Amino acid sequence: MNSLTLAIRQEAARLLEEKIVDVVIGFEAGTLPLKAQPAFITRKEEAEKLVFNGFCQNNLAAYLTRFPKEKRLGIICRGCESRAVRALVIEHQHDRDKLYLIGVPCTGIIDWRKIERRVGENTLQAREEGDEVIVTTRDGEHRFRRADVLHDSCARCLHPNPVGADIVLGDPLPEGDPERAWAPVLEFEALPPEERYAYFVQETGRCIRCYACREACPMCYCTECFVDHTAPRWTESMITPGGTQAWHIVRAFHQAGRCVSCGACERACPMDIKMTYLVDKLSYDMMQQYGFEVGASDEKQPPFAAFTLDDRNRFVR
Amino acid sequence: MYKILPKADLPRLIEKWMEQATVYAPVRQGDFTKFEPLSDPAQADLYYAANTRYPPKSLFLPQSEVMFRVKGSEFEPTGDEVSSRVVLGIHACDTRALQLLDGVFVDRDYQDPYWARKREQTTLVVLGCANPCETCFCTSVGSGPFDKRGADVMLIDLGNEYVADVRSEKGQVLFDHLPDASQEQIDASRQVQAAAAAKMKKPFETEGLKDKLYNLFESGFWATIQQSCLGCGVCTFLCPTCYCFDIVDEVQRNERVRNWDTCMFRIYSQEASGHNPRPTNTERTRQRIMHKYAYFVDLFNEIGCTGCGRCVRYCPVNLDIRQIIRSAQAWEES
Amino acid sequence: MNHNPYKPIPMRIARTVVETDDQSLKSFELVFERDADREAFFSRYRPGQFCQLSIFGKGEAPFGVASAAWEGDFVRFTINKIGVFTRAIHSMKVGDPIGLRGPLGNWYPIENWKGANIVIIGGGYAFTTLFALTQHLLDPAIRPQYGNLTVIYGAREPGLFLYKKELQTWYERKDINLYQAIDCPADGWCYFVGYVPNVTKEIAPSAENAVAFVCGPPVMIKFTLPVLYELGFPAERIYTSMEKRMKCGIGKCGRCNIGPKYICKDGPIFTFAQLQELPPDL
Repeated sequence: MNSLTLAIRQEAARLLEEKIVDVVIGFEAGTLPLKAQPAFITRKEEAEKLVFNGFCQNNLAAYLTRFPKEKRLGIICRGCESRAVRALVIEHQHDRDKLYLIGVPCTGIIDWRKIERRVGENTLQAREEGDEVIVTTRDGEHRFRRADVLHDSCARCLHPNPVGADIVLGDPLPEGDPERAWAPVLEFEALPPEERYAYFVQETGRCIRCYACREACPMCYCTECFVDHTAPRWTESMITPGGTQAWHIVRAFHQAGRCVSCGACERACPMDIKMTYLVDKLSYDMMQQYGFEVGASDEKQPPFAAFTLDDRNRFVR
Repeated sequence: MYKILPKADLPRLIEKWMEQATVYAPVRQGDFTKFEPLSDPAQADLYYAANTRYPPKSLFLPQSEVMFRVKGSEFEPTGDEVSSRVVLGIHACDTRALQLLDGVFVDRDYQDPYWARKREQTTLVVLGCANPCETCFCTSVGSGPFDKRGADVMLIDLGNEYVADVRSEKGQVLFDHLPDASQEQIDASRQVQAAAAAKMKKPFETEGLKDKLYNLFESGFWATIQQSCLGCGVCTFLCPTCYCFDIVDEVQRNERVRNWDTCMFRIYSQEASGHNPRPTNTERTRQRIMHKYAYFVDLFNEIGCTGCGRCVRYCPVNLDIRQIIRSAQAWEES
Repeated sequence: MNHNPYKPIPMRIARTVVETDDQSLKSFELVFERDADREAFFSRYRPGQFCQLSIFGKGEAPFGVASAAWEGDFVRFTINKIGVFTRAIHSMKVGDPIGLRGPLGNWYPIENWKGANIVIIGGGYAFTTLFALTQHLLDPAIRPQYGNLTVIYGAREPGLFLYKKELQTWYERKDINLYQAIDCPADGWCYFVGYVPNVTKEIAPSAENAVAFVCGPPVMIKFTLPVLYELGFPAERIYTSMEKRMKCGIGKCGRCNIGPKYICKDGPIFTFAQLQELPPDL
């Protein structure tokens, strides 16, 4: 067991024992070797179930809006989760004083698909050892460099350290390299429009509208999503371009200045659809145009949600 | 009737079928396979490790299907254009699923003409699973990697050739001209089948399960197990036996269509009055599990799950149906 | 192509009646565009069954039939303006085309209760198929096959009763006992005042050789059932009609189940004994 897991268990047990929170949201061991499961711990004895490793692939902040506002939640927060919590608090989704953020600097989530692409689909065991991931399949042991099998979003993570946490377990990590983080955006932007569109068509063409991307996203919490609205209906109901492309493009726009770049949407997608490239571009623009980055401040509204009387655009006057 | 098909001859055989029918087979797309109509026998990828990501139920119940083209107040049904098809390389679990769904779409008071037509026009050449996956659990739900029910032909891989167990007239049409398998080959094929079944793990027992689930209906079990569930449609959309659909009018297309729907979505059971009989994820999760493991059993005397493992593999939060069933069996009300 | 149970048959709106003072409920009498459809419909229709009405662009929605065959060559539906479909039909006019699939589902199995006394208890908007049942029983060819016919019908206020004209004719008949009730006293109201369960208790229809048909809002059902049990009606002899969101209407699309039963196909009519056997999934 790694030392972080131990520290998380101790802290979770303390929070429950001292009745600081009603529930601790973390991870427990999964049923598949390359996965962990979100866990909801309400009794201190159960804190022993908690684990923390590179197989914890969900953004736990997605559960924040699934709890009633009066609940006091303890949440294990990596960089992206802490930024999502901040953004959600700014959007009045939970009171900050009812949250206890157990910060954990994050070395990135391991992408099980990258591993299975190489070793096939019958993983028997998997573990991390330092900078390596060691996977046992029916035909033996396979070793990977962690950096080679990180999820794309994690590989270009800018802020692995939690922000605004109540406690931070583990040592802070160096911040990410902006050049590397934004390189895919700039590369994609440099493509001719036809190629960009072709890529969009190709990716959305596989969409089955299961909305796993929406449900896994901490920032998608509308009571009624625009695609579920029936009077009027905003998109075609089918898996036609008028349905799937409309979904992906509008979803991306709704994330402008709100996406925390965790990549949970892509990890949740059962059809391996690439979608972060759309929102990453918007995040980049938010930075360039408004100097805004989600989670950088605990009070600044996202630019598209805020207005000021001295806005340089006329329409707000 | 057992026939022998050297693997090297398969492309030629597919080509022959293609003269008469549309042949569907798993085709690799990036990291996964999906059943597609072949334009070239070489596209068929029968050696994919797991089950195709996208379930072949879509060949009979497409995710989006035009039911009617509407002209004025006239509803003109579609579907007549579907002609002869061969589905090659479908696994036993997915074949079994089609047979279970026949109970819903064909065998009851109302026949679904769209489903029925596609079923009638299709010959299923099943590929038995010599190497079931870690996430497979067909033997736990009353089936197995070489379950022949629903198969027109079952192919058993002997390495260099297939033994073809031809089980219907439709299957005979496709395999009649091939040489008979020798007794030795038939025996070898039986060994392959037994070895595959022996490899299967049995993650849970189904004895008493239905009654147990009914007893749990109002218990805290469902609220407990659903906590991590995100309420997306992955498990149900990828499921070979989930068949729920929505009927929608697409005015701009002048079409009445049906789309896969799922009991996991809030709006699925939302009524116009605002009342929702399944208002939270707890009731929705209960519906999903109960439908497969209790209601389906009551209706058809079969479990409505074929153990393909897709929901296990692709659930974004690793909410594992095998674990749910085990927990249900073990649950004691406190 | 085989018979297509999803295909609506063409109908036309022949007459509309605003039923309630608040204009929220309207009856639509639909007539058949083709004789064969009419014959097929009436050869199968029994009171209690429902139809899927179909307006292209607004979709389909299920409604119980609110007329008896002898009333004429039309099929009546009484519709509350509540959602997308119902708002659309409320804005339609006499002569407008509309699609219909049906009759669907099972019916009030009165053929099993020949010679019995019939007790019908309805509340609010849910009186539609009970009205069809009552009308059916009043058919001169049918009425002699049954004993006493008692109808208890409650509404919040006088203006919210449906079928006011027909109810008046029932008062004039000797072969039906109608008891109307409103929740609170109102000017000019000369019938019962009180909630349906209390009124039922007061009227106390005999359970002897009797069968009850009860439809109404859940709260009415909840409190009327104990009254009926006390009067001696066992759950096997109390029928009701269920509702849930539906799409296909023929037991395929999956959404209207209560446990293993589909309201559209196995219902909508159930006895309370049957419902007690099902999980509480409402």
